[in-house]
Amino acid sequence: MSTRTSDSRPATGGPTPPEAEETASPPETGTAVVKTGRWRRLRGIMLVGIIVVAAAVVPLLLSPSGDTGGRYADPADTSLVGTRALAEVLADHGVAVERVDDVSAAVAAADSDSLLVVTEASEVSEADARRLAASPADRLIVGRAPHLGILAAGVTPRNRATRARSREPECGLRAAVLAGSAHLGGLSFTGPAGSTGCYPAEGRPTLVRYVLDGRTVTVAGDGGFMTNLRLAEDGNAALALNLAGAKRRLVWLVAPDLDDRSDAGETGGSDATEARSLGDLVPDGIGWAVLQLVIAVAVAAVWRGRRLGPVVVERLPVIVRASETVEGRGRLYRARRARDRATLALRAAAADRIVPRLGLPPAAAPDEVAAAVAVRTGEDLNHVRTTLYGPAPTDDAGLVALAEHLDRLERQVRDS
Amino acid sequence: MALTGRTALLAALGAVAVLFAPRPGFAVAGIALLLAALVVVDLLLAGSVRALRFVRDGERLVRLGRSAEIGLIVENPGPRRVRGVLRDAWPPSAGATPRRVRFAVPSGERRRLTTTLTPTRRGDREAVVVTVRSLGPLGLAGRQGTHRVPWSIRVLPPFLSRKHLPGRLARLRELDGNHPALVRGQGTEFDSLREYVVGDDVRSIDWRATARRSDVVVRTWRPERDRRVLIVLDTGRTSAGRVGAAPIPLAGEPAAGDGRSGGPRAGHDGPPAAAAGRPEAGWPRLDWSMDAALLLAALASRAGDRVDFLAYDRKVRASLSGASRTELLSSLVNVMAPIEAELVESDGAGMVSTVLARAGRRCLVVLLTDLNPASLEEGLLPVLPQLSSRHLVLVAAVADPRVAAMASGRGTAERVYDAAAAERLRGERRRITALLRGHGVEVVDALPEDIAPALADAYLALKAAGRL
Repeated sequence: MSTRTSDSRPATGGPTPPEAEETASPPETGTAVVKTGRWRRLRGIMLVGIIVVAAAVVPLLLSPSGDTGGRYADPADTSLVGTRALAEVLADHGVAVERVDDVSAAVAAADSDSLLVVTEASEVSEADARRLAASPADRLIVGRAPHLGILAAGVTPRNRATRARSREPECGLRAAVLAGSAHLGGLSFTGPAGSTGCYPAEGRPTLVRYVLDGRTVTVAGDGGFMTNLRLAEDGNAALALNLAGAKRRLVWLVAPDLDDRSDAGETGGSDATEARSLGDLVPDGIGWAVLQLVIAVAVAAVWRGRRLGPVVVERLPVIVRASETVEGRGRLYRARRARDRATLALRAAAADRIVPRLGLPPAAAPDEVAAAVAVRTGEDLNHVRTTLYGPAPTDDAGLVALAEHLDRLERQVRDS
Repeated sequence: MALTGRTALLAALGAVAVLFAPRPGFAVAGIALLLAALVVVDLLLAGSVRALRFVRDGERLVRLGRSAEIGLIVENPGPRRVRGVLRDAWPPSAGATPRRVRFAVPSGERRRLTTTLTPTRRGDREAVVVTVRSLGPLGLAGRQGTHRVPWSIRVLPPFLSRKHLPGRLARLRELDGNHPALVRGQGTEFDSLREYVVGDDVRSIDWRATARRSDVVVRTWRPERDRRVLIVLDTGRTSAGRVGAAPIPLAGEPAAGDGRSGGPRAGHDGPPAAAAGRPEAGWPRLDWSMDAALLLAALASRAGDRVDFLAYDRKVRASLSGASRTELLSSLVNVMAPIEAELVESDGAGMVSTVLARAGRRCLVVLLTDLNPASLEEGLLPVLPQLSSRHLVLVAAVADPRVAAMASGRGTAERVYDAAAAERLRGERRRITALLRGHGVEVVDALPEDIAPALADAYLALKAAGRL
């Protein structure tokens, strides 16, 4: 560690306060320094880890529990609130269950030999309700279905809902009597004249059946007895079968799938529940949290952007290799295929080295040199003369070969 | 004012609070106000930066390749403790570590911080500024201020060829005392009279002295002392070219293992990143020449000669004359330290006239330059006779080992073309050398690692031959 902080005691000479050691520990306590360093590094990683885990777990804990995500009273749904079990049992009894999520399809599918089921999960506008009411099929209305006054004209629900629990039929309706006690409650009704009311709660029936314009209309205050959760209890299954299995075909109007919610708009879905875009699904606080994060980023920018003192500039010497001119000349030779000049340079260098070794004056004539070299090395005179003074090679391979020849001659002269 | 990472972290954590707050808009405003308030409180409680007083101590000279320690005493006369970060800023090639120091100075006390400089370049390095950031007790914000605390350190040439000095001094002693020359020649002086012993040259018998005494007496001679040596350093463009492998990485080199890997690379004031992957750029010819000049000066001053120094390109860059023997070397490195190669063509005529003006008596002029045909033929060769007629001239040049390597390239056309180019340059150097020798000039042309001993040997040979 090159960082060292030593004390220069003030003139008054007091004891050194312990803070002096805070900036950098002396090298004697090496292990302590290492441990602190490791702990310091691990601390940051652990902090990040804890934040990540907290970010994952906290929203999960805070989200409203109990919503299992099932679709209420849907014959295709296998969750506790669905009615898949009932649909299966009905199919076993020879009833064709047709699941539709569209009022038009429901009206088209429903004829006089079928039963139309409308639950509080069905999305029905007022016009839809009139079309459904005009259908020749019998109707089973379960729970707080929309536009009850149109779908079951003459039946008046009470405002206060009763608790759903196991209740006795206490009436003469065959379907109810056969089934016995069942899980009912919810809305209680005041039926029109000639209607049969069963399973009374607080003195009013929660199941009403009557005949309207030749169609049998049944209204149940709560759909709990039909769900997968309750179907096996009491006489729920029997009651549900008796009510829903009365005809050979069953047309079950369910809530449209969330996926094709955009299609539901044109078929006249309820306005209140229709327009749920991505923005509605995001909690309100997100936008503000993002703003806060932007502020945090701005603060971080200020933190990192403030430099500790000015930038130091310095005039540096030029860096250029001395050999660059030679390399450039070599590249020029190569680019222009300057074999003549290259040959000249190589031969001159070889001659400069060979001639003194032969004991000749520097200005010796070519023939003289060639003869001396031939005598010394025993090579063919013509070959030596061509190598040393012949025409320049016509291609690069020739140049490479010439360089090798010159080297060999030089070596032979040197070694002989 | 400066913020810290803690402030940013608090602001980021505030986002979580905003997410779950019932009134997010108010939460954002509240957090901003709270942060601002905390920052202001921290700033108010932070120790004053402006009142701090600084005193420097430490080294003024350092050889290139060594480290020097510079002390910085921080005195806090203010009422509050100053705690935070300090940066002692030096130029990048001063190689200052650490870049930033955490420190704490209680009120009314002093602390000494140490900055270690490992310069990567010759010359004078000036301390730039001292910047202090004093953090508040919460560590959220700090006051920042900059003080000017001047100090300069001179980075001297390393004199790596010092290792050759003992061997050369031994040879000098052989020439000087133990083997007095008996034959009188140019550049020798009378040493003493002694009795004739069998084998002495009869021509050296001093008959007058013999007549006064009963014995036969001979005269002995020794190489002349108190000769003058003028070392001329060419600082023109040819001296900027880099040759060889740098024994000490210079500024701008890809610094390999300079012991700086442990520190945080703060991005600023680091050495400029040189193009990595290229062959090593080596040392400038100037630095190799300086090394050779130092060895020659050390040797010549021990031999009893007077050494003067001149650095010249188009004007006198540095000069030293009349230095006493004991302090010659230290004065010389001091004079040499700030010299940089100038990217101008040297003025040969000006150099010769300056030398002639400075050297009255006959002396040995050692010219450290490059045997560059273009610049020598245009500049120096026409005026060289003026110099060589009055003085003994020795030209020393640093050869490029890479050219030698290129000249031996064979095998592919590419390498043979390079070899041809290298041979051409070497041919020109030989021609120039021959021309110079024709003018009676001594020439030393050696590779970078050999130039200093080769120059020393050439000097010793001249000395032995009595040609000084």
